[in-house]
Amino acid sequence: MNWALNNLELVLQLTLTHLIVSLIPLAIGFVIAVLLARVTSNRFAPAITGSLGTLYAIPSLALFVTLPVILGTNFVGPTNVLIALTIYVVSAMFFSARDAFASLPKPTIEFAQAQGLSAIQRFFYVELPLATPGLIAGARVAAASTISMASIGAVVGVRNLGYLFLDGFQRKIADEVLTGLIAIFVIAIAIDLALWLLGRALTPWHRRVNV
Amino acid sequence: MKNNLKLGLAAIAVSTLGLAGCAQTSDAIVIGSQAYYSNEIVAEAYAQALEEAGYEVERNFSLGQRDVYVPAILEGEVDLFPEYTGNLLQYFNPDASETEASAVYDALTNALPEGLSALAMSPATDQDSYNVTQEFAAANNLSSITDLANLGSVTLGGAPELAERPYGPTGLLSVYGVSVEFLATGDTTVESLVAGDVDMANVYSADPRINQLGLVTLSDPEGLFLSSNLVPIASSALDQGARDAINAVSLAMSADDLVAMNVRSVEEQLSASQIAGDWLRSEGLIN
Amino acid sequence: MFDIPDFIGWLLNPENWQGRYGVPNLIQEHFILTLSAIALATLIAMPIGIAIGHFNRGTALVVLLGSASRAIPTMGLLFALVMAFGVQLRELAVVIALVAIAFPPLLAGAYAGISAIEKHIPDSATAQGLTSWQLLRIVEIPLAMPAIIGGFRIAWIQVTSTVVLAPLVGLGGLGFGIIQGLALRNFDQVVASALLIVLVTVLGDQLLGFAQKNQAFRLGHLSGGKSK
Repeated sequence: MNWALNNLELVLQLTLTHLIVSLIPLAIGFVIAVLLARVTSNRFAPAITGSLGTLYAIPSLALFVTLPVILGTNFVGPTNVLIALTIYVVSAMFFSARDAFASLPKPTIEFAQAQGLSAIQRFFYVELPLATPGLIAGARVAAASTISMASIGAVVGVRNLGYLFLDGFQRKIADEVLTGLIAIFVIAIAIDLALWLLGRALTPWHRRVNV
Repeated sequence: MKNNLKLGLAAIAVSTLGLAGCAQTSDAIVIGSQAYYSNEIVAEAYAQALEEAGYEVERNFSLGQRDVYVPAILEGEVDLFPEYTGNLLQYFNPDASETEASAVYDALTNALPEGLSALAMSPATDQDSYNVTQEFAAANNLSSITDLANLGSVTLGGAPELAERPYGPTGLLSVYGVSVEFLATGDTTVESLVAGDVDMANVYSADPRINQLGLVTLSDPEGLFLSSNLVPIASSALDQGARDAINAVSLAMSADDLVAMNVRSVEEQLSASQIAGDWLRSEGLIN
Repeated sequence: MFDIPDFIGWLLNPENWQGRYGVPNLIQEHFILTLSAIALATLIAMPIGIAIGHFNRGTALVVLLGSASRAIPTMGLLFALVMAFGVQLRELAVVIALVAIAFPPLLAGAYAGISAIEKHIPDSATAQGLTSWQLLRIVEIPLAMPAIIGGFRIAWIQVTSTVVLAPLVGLGGLGFGIIQGLALRNFDQVVASALLIVLVTVLGDQLLGFAQKNQAFRLGHLSGGKSK
């Protein structure tokens, strides 16, 4: 892995960009998915699941280059990639978010209602904390896909770890391509771990029960 | 009421920060490059020379083909781009007939649209060229593109966009009467040529593999390819000091220098930043 | 100024439908690569997934493979294998990369389908005298079909998306229009090709989705419990 050591600065730079390009859509997509899942009534759910499923089926490169037409953004550059990745996160998370909210214990919700908590208070103080394990699980799945998918953004000029694949292939430097693969894998694992820890931190009662 | 006031102040603060951020980055010189490692090395050389001269530089490399970045320069998103005289001239004027280096440069300066200017041309060249393997050349007695007309149809490999370039299949047919079957081999072009998947390939003249693999570059008596020297294309945002720094770099770079840097990139597998820096230091252009 | 690329004009231009890189040939290449990879992956993944579900051994493999595979960038895998195999064997390298990409979802689908069958069903079937093989064939696999097809849907999406990148290693496929179009700044071509890709991918996904619902509906009352 000499190549990686010799080009550490470049790899770190690209890793930083890659993290930013992956985590922003993850965060925004998470919020959108959670809100959307919560407010979607049962009547509309199948239609939304269906359309989001269709969006998820679209190959990433195709979506990167089609969004500029619909949104009027530049063809090359991070904007399309950020928006496209956000769409993917929402599609990936919507179903699991709905599942998470649907499997909340009804008695608890009704009790909170009886206590006089408003809908918004119920959402933040009761539903969200209880749904956290399910939401985190969905987020972990979405995170891994987003981080690896972001690398395709390099084809449209986003300077992330995907660049190592393109440049490595052009110059036929196997180590460079491998470095990219390993770096992305490592980031994915790191974020997965971080999310898992976050989940545990947000749900201390789960741990207390087992003591 | 109090909440609204706080919100308003916050909004003003954020937008001021935003505008300040914008103002700051618009002072930096934005340098772009093609998604081609050799071009990136040259761009990096310009970047480091400018930084040595005290300018703030923002690197925006691997933007892709000129079809993508020319508009970017015109719109002010990019200030400097290393280019190649012949190719760029053909982009603006597909019917250009000049072939000799300085004639191409003069025609280019005339062809450039308002807002773009060509700085000093470098002696370094890197242009498209048609190559065959030594065996193929010997077996078919080839030394120039004209000789190809003796063969039947020939398979040609190159980047996908070669299919539409004036020196591509259409040019070969109209100028030399050679019909080719095109295969978009992209970054696998040289390997495909050596493996025999294609008879002939478009390989950039500064590619170290031409020498290393003993490829035969077919001569071009009819001038299908225009002479293509390295030339930095600049927007009007660059002042004289910046232009001087850039010209110093261009003029110091010989054709051999460029090939040598390419060799370092592929063999020693160093980064553009390292290679460009080393070369600039050896030329005494930076410390 | 912003104007919508004339992708309809591009699609109506007969020149774009002829030759090595005309749309019909690109579609053909795309399908050959995708379907052969999925077929190969199925041959390997189906038996393993069904076995894991049936015997309830090795479930950790499925879980691990599932989460790990999501983190592997398809473009990197493609380039790495083509470089490893050499350019002459690039088709083989690409197919292997695609098989690797299709394998985890197919495996997960088979496993999920078999393992979700409530215990009393295979138990009562065995009690009625069905052999292990008959149990698999007549009871378990049909009940697992929706999940198995679900695995196919994901595999189809993943593989098709990766084939879009094949032009970067010198192959064809529907991605060619995008890759060449980006280089030439011919956005009519880029958008037209992207739309074709979307059409093909979504169509396949929807067809598989119908098949999935069809299977689930037919066997809904048999599975005994809730079906999604």
